[in-house]
Amino acid sequence: MEADVVRSEMVLPPVMPFKRVQMGDKYQKGQSRGRYWKHLKQLLQAENFISLPLDEPNYLNIESPPSMYPSKKYCDITGFEAPYVDPRTKLRYADPEVFKRVRNLPNDHVQRYLALRNAAVIIR
Amino acid sequence: MGEIRVARQSDYDLFSPTTPIVIDNGGSTFRIGWAGESDPRIMFRSVAFRPRHRSTGETVTVVGEHDPALFKYFDCTRSSWRSPFDNNVVYQFEIMEYVLDYGFDRLGASSSMAGKVDHPILMTECICNPVYSRAKMAELLFETYGVPSVAFGVDAAFSYKYNQNLGICAEDGIALSIGFMTTHSIPILKGEPLPEGSCRTNVGGYHVTNYLKEVLSLKYPYHAPSITWEKAEELKREHCYVAPDYPSELQIFKKETKEAEEKKWVWQLPWVPPPQEELPSEEELARKAAIKEKQGQRLREMAAAKRSQKITDLENELHVLETLLSQLDEAELPEVASSILARSGYLSRQEIESAHSRVSQSLRKARGEPAVTVEENTDTATSADKYPLVSIPDEMLTPDQLKEKKRQIFLKTTSEGRLRAKQKRAEEEMMRERQNQLEEGRRLENPELYLEELRAKYKELSEKIDQRKRLKTNGNGNGNGNGTGNGNNVSGGTGRGERLNAAQRERMRLLTTALFDKGKGEDTFGLKDEDWQLYKLMSKDTDDDDDDVVDPDEAELERVAAKLQEFDPSFVGRAEAELMQSTQEPPRPRALTAEDYQVVLGVERFRCPEVLFQPGMIGEYQAGIDEIVSHSLRRLPNLDSSIKDRMCQSIIVTGGGSLLPGLEQRLETGIRATRPYLSPLKIVRAVDSVMDAWRGASVYAASELFSTQTFSLEDYNEKGEDWLKRYNIVYSLYD
Repeated sequence: MEADVVRSEMVLPPVMPFKRVQMGDKYQKGQSRGRYWKHLKQLLQAENFISLPLDEPNYLNIESPPSMYPSKKYCDITGFEAPYVDPRTKLRYADPEVFKRVRNLPNDHVQRYLALRNAAVIIR
Repeated sequence: MGEIRVARQSDYDLFSPTTPIVIDNGGSTFRIGWAGESDPRIMFRSVAFRPRHRSTGETVTVVGEHDPALFKYFDCTRSSWRSPFDNNVVYQFEIMEYVLDYGFDRLGASSSMAGKVDHPILMTECICNPVYSRAKMAELLFETYGVPSVAFGVDAAFSYKYNQNLGICAEDGIALSIGFMTTHSIPILKGEPLPEGSCRTNVGGYHVTNYLKEVLSLKYPYHAPSITWEKAEELKREHCYVAPDYPSELQIFKKETKEAEEKKWVWQLPWVPPPQEELPSEEELARKAAIKEKQGQRLREMAAAKRSQKITDLENELHVLETLLSQLDEAELPEVASSILARSGYLSRQEIESAHSRVSQSLRKARGEPAVTVEENTDTATSADKYPLVSIPDEMLTPDQLKEKKRQIFLKTTSEGRLRAKQKRAEEEMMRERQNQLEEGRRLENPELYLEELRAKYKELSEKIDQRKRLKTNGNGNGNGNGTGNGNNVSGGTGRGERLNAAQRERMRLLTTALFDKGKGEDTFGLKDEDWQLYKLMSKDTDDDDDDVVDPDEAELERVAAKLQEFDPSFVGRAEAELMQSTQEPPRPRALTAEDYQVVLGVERFRCPEVLFQPGMIGEYQAGIDEIVSHSLRRLPNLDSSIKDRMCQSIIVTGGGSLLPGLEQRLETGIRATRPYLSPLKIVRAVDSVMDAWRGASVYAASELFSTQTFSLEDYNEKGEDWLKRYNIVYSLYD
């Protein structure tokens, strides 16, 4: 290890005296370690909230419902109010000058703007 | 976020095993310290990174943020910073273990000989944490760290309790905690949180920063590498604010008033101006001029010497030829003449004469006298001689002579043709010259009017060209659109839209008239050669974009543009104007200025925090943070409205995301809109939104009755998961 790395102590030492089981023993080298952690979605599925009484609060219960205000449409590029949508790219724009910019955008910028709004069509 | 404390503590052993360790396990930051203290000892970002060390090849673990310069020793390309959280729930316990390792180590646990962490632990979690996550966390603490007992609490509730003890809020109220990935609204009754009334919306500080980062990167693609996550966070922390009324704030910026200018913030990126060429001083200039003069002088001398040399050569040659001629003249006998000719190398007297005239011409040119156009006369005079056979009719000639005659006819016509072409070109030149002079005259006498005319002509021409282009693309676009939109049209080429373009209409007409059978009942197209000319006509109509022939209008446009560029200082070429509008940055060939390296935060300053109030802006169809308060009150139907009023008078805003200026005012207007008219409403920010959760937990853990709220490994094993699901601490231990 280089001197300044050692000095900064940025790396975790492999053996920690306050642990009963060390990381190296728990996770053998070479085994894939990430595969068996359940993501939140899987956790919630396993939780099986449907079988529980409905009035008891659980992680899904307390989630907020959709907003009761209708969502306002804002221009993707400038942020002003956007009454118009470009039919080709489905981006929202506020006025004709912005429209010119919208039409001149390269395709990956278009996709990123849409992804920002969670509106990009993902083709796998 | 922002502050990081990772100095290793040395007093771990001084604390007895009954002193609990308090951990605020937050989505962005991990805070750990001793119970009863007012500040956590250690704080860092709860992320871990497993790069490969370059020289040894082993994979190491790094937790929290470190000096970026040290990362050059590691191969950082294959791994990325990982968080143990998914939304606000811990799911990845390997990373969690690394984070805990680091936290305990820096707290000083490595100096203890106990072989385990021998202190009770109070850890925060989110409200209604799924039992799987809770169980796994308890397992990790018990089995890997040997912790004797564990308690879980909600960070927002601890923050509320802390503020309640400080007198900022009452016993009944609402805690609005704006976290990293989520925001919770938790009603508190008699000091205890009510999970059945709590409401969570999935927007938090992360979304604001991410939005800012993305919007800036897309607006300034050239500077995208400089806009990192850390920089975006810094910009957010320093310059973002919440607009009290979003639409009217937008209007301020849209109208570009002076107020808008003041509100803009400009981030100047580091930029090095190109080295300016120093203007040479007076003497430098004089010296350079002198050198140039000398060089010019030298060149001129050389040229003059060459010219005089050439003149003398030519004169000599002329002299020789003249003597030859005179000799030939003097020679009376043909034999003498031929011998002289043979010696000189010329074949005939004519040749000598032509050579002589040539040399005298070039001599005159060299001397600078105008060339005498003797050539032409001699040519025309001898044309009859040159082509002697042309005038003689065919019958009188032998086959050889016929051939000769054909050749002479050909030569004559070509030379005459060349002459004619030359004459025409000269005429055109003269005409153009005359026109230019006329225009020059007009310009000189009335420059303003001339410029106006030019500009008008330019506009007309460019409009014509634009229109034609638009027709073409519209016609094609319409045609394609209609062709594919019309499901019935299999061929797509016979849809009605196809014929909107004038050229295509013409094509159709030609085709139909040609194929119209002339009443014979048979298709006779193609029998005659001329029929195929139709296709030539058609293709000429539609083919005009990829011609080599330059469009006459466009050529005219170019000429006018060139003139305008010369005379009109305010003229901007059409192509350049388009370019400037289309790109975000000015065209590159211009020298880069300081302005090009500026990132302007105008609308973005309040647009990004707006995501908290309108999650629809990033595609999350949930309520904003002001609305969830009303939802959470609505979920408590059994409560009296007087209690709800009391709660609304004591709303606390905590969490890292609440540090944005203008937030409370906006929340107040938002929440007031959902409450009954004139009901009381009071919103206060927590004393220290970021630290209060840990401080509240620390006070809680230091109280005497804390041990009644923890559970141990035996409890966990005996009572099972069901019990763990229903486990909730009582917060009002020390009232």
